[in-house]
Parts: sequence; C-alpha cells; structure tokens
Amino acid sequence: MHEMALMESLVDVLAREADRHNIARIKKVKLTVGALTHALPDALQFAFTVLREQPLFAPEAELEIEERETRGRCGSCGVEFAVEGNFGFLCPDCGGFAIEIIQGRELQIDYFEGD
Amino acid sequence: MQIKLGQNLLGANAAVAGEIRRLMEEKGLLLLNLMSSPGAGKTTLLEKTLAAVKERLRVAVIEGDVATTKDAERIARLGIPVVQINTHGACHLDAAMVRDVLPAFDLDNLDLLIVENVGNLVCPAEFDLGEAMKVVVLSTTEGNDKVPKYPLMFREAGALLLNKIDLLPFTDFRLDELAADLGQIHPGLPRFDLSARTGEGMDRWIDWLSNQAEERRRR
Ligand SMILES: [Zn+2]
Repeated sequence: MHEMALMESLVDVLAREADRHNIARIKKVKLTVGALTHALPDALQFAFTVLREQPLFAPEAELEIEERETRGRCGSCGVEFAVEGNFGFLCPDCGGFAIEIIQGRELQIDYFEGD
Repeated sequence: MQIKLGQNLLGANAAVAGEIRRLMEEKGLLLLNLMSSPGAGKTTLLEKTLAAVKERLRVAVIEGDVATTKDAERIARLGIPVVQINTHGACHLDAAMVRDVLPAFDLDNLDLLIVENVGNLVCPAEFDLGEAMKVVVLSTTEGNDKVPKYPLMFREAGALLLNKIDLLPFTDFRLDELAADLGQIHPGLPRFDLSARTGEGMDRWIDWLSNQAEERRRR
C-alpha cells in the first residue's frame, strides 16, 4: 500500500517533468531509497509494473533502485556511523544520543530517460 | 535523452505541507497529527481527550478514514466541528487532502486542530501534513515490538501516548523495555501512560496538550 502511494507520487512528478522536457515515453527511472522510509524495493518494483501500463511509459520501462542504509552523525563527538537495524540511534563512540539522521530518509528521483 | 532530477519523490507534498504550516503559525493554531496502528484505541482516546479539552480550548477535528463515517459521527456528537476525509482505500492522508478541507473551519477562532490519521504506522510517517507535532498512540496490547519496527515514527513524534495501561497485567508488554527502546530512538520524548477507558493518566496528558496549544496561541 505504502509503496503504491509512493509510486503514484512518482508518476505525478514524472508526468510533469516529461511534459516540460518534451518526452513522450519514459524508458527508465532511477530512484534512491533510504532504509528508514520502509519502502521495500520489491514492492516498489511491483507497483511500477502496474503503473507503467500508462501511456507515459514505454511498455518495457525499467525502474532502477539504489538502496541506502541509515546513517547518523553524533551531535556530541561528530562521529558518523551506520544505524544498525534502523534502530540504534546511539553513538557507538561516546554513547551520545543527539543523533542527526544524515542518510536513510531518501526518496529521491535521480533521473529518468525517454524520448 | 536523460533528464537529471535529484528531487524528492514527495516534493509536491512537502510544498503543500509547508503552506499549511505557515498558515497555522499565522493563526496561532496548533495542528496535531495523531497516529497509531489499528486497534490502539485512538478514536476512544480522541473522544475522551476532546471532551476534556473543549472546556479549555476551541478545538476541531479532521477525521481520516479509509471508508466509513462512524468515527466522525462520534466526534460530532460532542459538539465539535469535524470534517471527514475519506481516503478511498489509501493508507494515509496527504497534505493536499488536509489543505482542501481547511476552508470548512473557522481557523481564526480555533486553538487546536487535531488530524486523526489513518490507522497504521508506516505510510503516515512519510507524508508531512504541515503539523506542528506528531502524536503517536501505542497500546499495551500491541506488544513491545512496534517501537523497534517503526523507529522513524517514534523518532519524529512530539509525544507518545501509551494507551490501555489498565490491561498491563494481562499482556506481556514491558514498560522497562519500552523505556529502554525509547532511550535508543528518542530520549526525552514526552510519554503519557494512560487508559482512555478508565480515565487513568488522562489528566496529565490533557494538561500537557492544553499547555502546548496555549503556548502557541501566545506566540
Ligand atoms: Zn558521539
């Protein structure tokens, strides 16, 4: 469900951008997806196969997904670290818990291709 | 031809949420986004909360529901302005849905506007509604695993309501485990242990909430 809603947002953005750049058929889309978004790549792919039935896409349009792990930066000592299991928001070095999320929330459209 | 975008998938939603946030600040109105998994007792909790805060604050509700109007009817019976958004099956509200119902309210004469989001913890976390604060409802019958499973929700929350504490003896829910998990995800998160059914612990939450709204109005 979550993934379908996200992919519908993707179609909204792509429809607008394709129009702006005079692209009639989209052949490829590249996304970056952070682990903290809980968007599962398989489910995104499935949603994409449903949505690419629209004339905006070429029938064999492809979705590439780059996954990003969750990373934090400690507000006390500045160390950057992987947030294990999306859960440990504690600094592994100093035990500080003022952790800024620096990666993992991405839901970004990097580029699309078409003609 | 390749077109570089580098733009957030939810950029359009974020822009609308920003508009709503500015409007709420201008009106000195506290917009609360109330979230939970299904069965956490959110609607009963909301009903009891509204019955108490309406003595102190001018409050209204936006009710998000997948299909039915049952919850909205329960709130209207309290004499509180309520507008229902039917998501027609979607698992979350988005900012545009909220923006579109705002004209139904007299925003200049409100202190608190509560959005009851659709019942799940995944999708609503991704969609900013322009709220000043997310409030998450967790219940003792759901078990401890919700917190580590949906860390983003608990990290972004401005308050956590632990509902159904009257049922604690009948569940395997552990308060010390919850405290330890929250210590990892969101230390210092205001937490209210309560039972909407028995009323236990409700006063502390009502006071806190009323203070938040009153503070905002004075700003
Ligand atoms: Zn540190």
